[in-house]
Amino acid sequence: MEALDSRDEVVVVERHRLLCSHDGKSWLENRIRENSLTHLVIAACSPRDREQIFMEACGRAGLNPHLFQLANVREHCAWTTDRKEEATEKAIRMTRIAIARVRYQAPLEKKEIEVNPDVLVVGGGVAGLRACATLASQLRKVFLVESTDRLGGMIARFEKAFPDMRDVKSYLENLVNDVRSNPRIEVMTEAKVERIIGFFGNFEIVVRKGGSDSGATELRVGAVILATGASLADPKGIEGFDLCAVPDVFTALEFEDMNRRGCIVCRNGSPPKSVAIIHCIGREEKGYCSGICCMYSLKFSRYLTDKISSVQVTHLYRDMCVPGRFYQDYFEESLGDRVKIVRHRKSRVTEKEGRPIVLYEDVNGRENALAVDMVILAPAMEPADGSRRIAEVAGIPLDKEGFILERHPKLATESSGKDGIYIAGCAQEPKSIEESVIQAEAVAGKIMASLVPGRKIEPEVRISTIADSFCQGCGSCVAVCPYGAVSLDERRKVAVVNEVICRGCGNCAAACPSGAASIRHYTRSQMYQEIMEAVR
Amino acid sequence: MTRDRALEIVVVGAGIAGMQASLLLSKAGRKVHLIERASVIGGLATKFEEVFTSMECATCMLAPMEQELLQDSNINLMTLANIEEVIRTPQGFKVKVRIKARFVDAVSCIGCGACYDLCPASAPNEYELGLSSRKAIFVPCAGALPNIPMIDPNLCLRFKGHQCDACKQACMFEAIDFQQKERILELDVGAIVVATGADIINTKELPKCGYGSIEGVYTSLEFERFYASNGPTSGKIVLRDGRVPKSVAIVHCVGRSESGYCSSVCCMYSFKFNHYLRSKIPEIEIIEFVTDLCVPGKAGQHFMREAASGKTRIVRVRDLEIREGTSQPIISYSLEDGDRDEAAVDMVILAPSLVPDPGTQELAEMLDISTDNRGFLQVNKDNRIEWARKGIFVIGCAEGPKDIEASVAQANAATARILREGLLDEL
Repeated sequence: MEALDSRDEVVVVERHRLLCSHDGKSWLENRIRENSLTHLVIAACSPRDREQIFMEACGRAGLNPHLFQLANVREHCAWTTDRKEEATEKAIRMTRIAIARVRYQAPLEKKEIEVNPDVLVVGGGVAGLRACATLASQLRKVFLVESTDRLGGMIARFEKAFPDMRDVKSYLENLVNDVRSNPRIEVMTEAKVERIIGFFGNFEIVVRKGGSDSGATELRVGAVILATGASLADPKGIEGFDLCAVPDVFTALEFEDMNRRGCIVCRNGSPPKSVAIIHCIGREEKGYCSGICCMYSLKFSRYLTDKISSVQVTHLYRDMCVPGRFYQDYFEESLGDRVKIVRHRKSRVTEKEGRPIVLYEDVNGRENALAVDMVILAPAMEPADGSRRIAEVAGIPLDKEGFILERHPKLATESSGKDGIYIAGCAQEPKSIEESVIQAEAVAGKIMASLVPGRKIEPEVRISTIADSFCQGCGSCVAVCPYGAVSLDERRKVAVVNEVICRGCGNCAAACPSGAASIRHYTRSQMYQEIMEAVR
Repeated sequence: MTRDRALEIVVVGAGIAGMQASLLLSKAGRKVHLIERASVIGGLATKFEEVFTSMECATCMLAPMEQELLQDSNINLMTLANIEEVIRTPQGFKVKVRIKARFVDAVSCIGCGACYDLCPASAPNEYELGLSSRKAIFVPCAGALPNIPMIDPNLCLRFKGHQCDACKQACMFEAIDFQQKERILELDVGAIVVATGADIINTKELPKCGYGSIEGVYTSLEFERFYASNGPTSGKIVLRDGRVPKSVAIVHCVGRSESGYCSSVCCMYSFKFNHYLRSKIPEIEIIEFVTDLCVPGKAGQHFMREAASGKTRIVRVRDLEIREGTSQPIISYSLEDGDRDEAAVDMVILAPSLVPDPGTQELAEMLDISTDNRGFLQVNKDNRIEWARKGIFVIGCAEGPKDIEASVAQANAATARILREGLLDEL
């Protein structure tokens, strides 16, 4: 204490046993007031642990919280060594560093900005519809933009859904009806989103209908959900399945269409007596397992055995992928006299006398030929065409497979890298209907919790600031900003920071060749003082 | 005040799912009572050093979430707490919670750890699955949060009538309080979120896997702790006799035929173990004994390929059995062509089925909801976020085995449902 007391700028040095306790905090507030402190240094524990509560105490005592500095003499000093005397030396030095720094700190004021609670949903498949239905309320309007002329997306082609074999048509009708009849949801079909600019809470959107020049609609929303879905890979590009010439070979979606229309028949008009369903088409080429193909292939054998009494179905699979609590039951219940499974390594389809033949290598390496009336291919899921376009419009990255890249693979799969832009359904990764629905509601939960009607948001205050007078307009900062917060003002030829988007990461300050960019609360003079005291 | 805001919520279980739901509900302005049975939060995922497929450090992923939760004034976290009784009311639920005494004052304690060094009583550390010991006053492992020890009254000498007060003497902050009493709390809430998580199947009851009787056989959770930098070996992969293994077998689908379902995460974490093993013992031989590979999603297969390169063999087997050899465990199995074969290795790691937490049944009875034939909480099949009964939401592995991202998604979705219900009530 004596070592610190002797410094001119220090008004008072005091000791407290447990400053973060309730008593400690009120004692601290009183001492700030009584001594009319202009700056405060606390030598205690980790800022991660306690900085926030001390800053709050400063605020209550009328001292700007940014005129306070915490020296971590516990984790960074006391707890790292047994050598008491040297540790005391270090603690004194660390505290002096904090004192040197705090003198150069500036009072930063929090700002509040108004937000728009409305939401734009791009894509009218099951994920998009579910997000709309969950979000729309008296206080929140939802705009749904769908590129085709109808709502429902891929699942509109299904008769039933695994694992509960629920009727998809009525499920979807109810959902579409909920969305269509809700006065707080505005549906725009045959429309495309052309522009998404802005930031969390305040996006400006341009939507064009019908691709014509019939006019663009401008919308203002606080958040955007990308639910652009997926499609199935075209087997034509896959070796062994270039099937133009082979009759009675169908892709999964073609088979769903045929089944939904109520007549599963071969080219000659008669129902198939033998069917081969080949799983994992394109899995090697794509490099990933789509996770749902085994399940929908099993569903197909249920369609077949339910509707054609004499049919024999053979599943040619590689790994039976039936994860979770319900899927293995579904798998086991799908098997029977008329449905068998054969593990294989490689297969291709050819033709003999007008009938498809499946040639496959079994697990022992033997070649086999299976002649059937019908072949169904289960191709890998791939991102829908719309994903790439919308990602460009929104200025967010795709992953190497072309799905929209999530913010975090574990904790934030429903968020894109950009605040306020979310992902739902197969646009992020291949998913089942139930997973898509859960993700759609997860996005809704995120938005409902953060974009509350009537509540303002407080942007981070320790952010970048770029001095016009030093800025050369070189754009180095624009290139390194991971949040898209810095842009060039073309007219004035200087870089400008959007204070709502900036997170204060410091990339721009490090990259700036002219010293124009700096981070509030981490300015050059503050850092310089800190270092000079450390090396004195 | 609108009715929406008046609704308070109980979340049961402070694993990833429960923490995420609590944080998001709090962010939406709701008051959350988070009830955790253990003395620390974070759940099963705190036992992992790294997570698949990014191999991100699990603590680095979890700690900020835990810190945020501990500092959130909207979240009333109760550790060492159990639900005693739930009564349905017209507005929701009356929930009676018993909070056991920690015997350490959470406000005064700074977590310095001076108390446990001097404690004379020790016992196997349950958190480390008995691979190390702990004192009567302890935190389960370094880095566990909240960083406040508890006294185990069944072990502490003082509670057995001795005059010991070594911990009290050691504490500079007078945080030790032998007189602390357990508390009963009654809460009126509008919704209950159940996030009680999962455990692994009891491998001792699966005789063919040799666990508990054959030296060198470990469960996946034990292996996670061997690799953990805050674990019993500080991250060294060693056998019980201290030798470094030269060959390892990882057995997938242990207990799958008994449990009747695929637990969906075991293939992925088994391939993660390849990364663990290679980073510590580069030349180690690894055999992955698999039945069906389950690596769904855009990153799963890439991860598997990368992990299984080098000296790793993936062998597809049936009828696997582990027996005792002269110096090593021996795995005998049928190959796909029906031939019987065997392999001897230094270490066997079992990847057992995920099963509901042992307390699930009791909680289900209190909540008057049912469990399915596997003991997972029964939910409305219409969509899987759902309530078992109105006002009750089940998320994470209590609803069925799943990975972290699926648990987080359910937590967020349940939040949407709760906020939406509030809105509907208001209108």
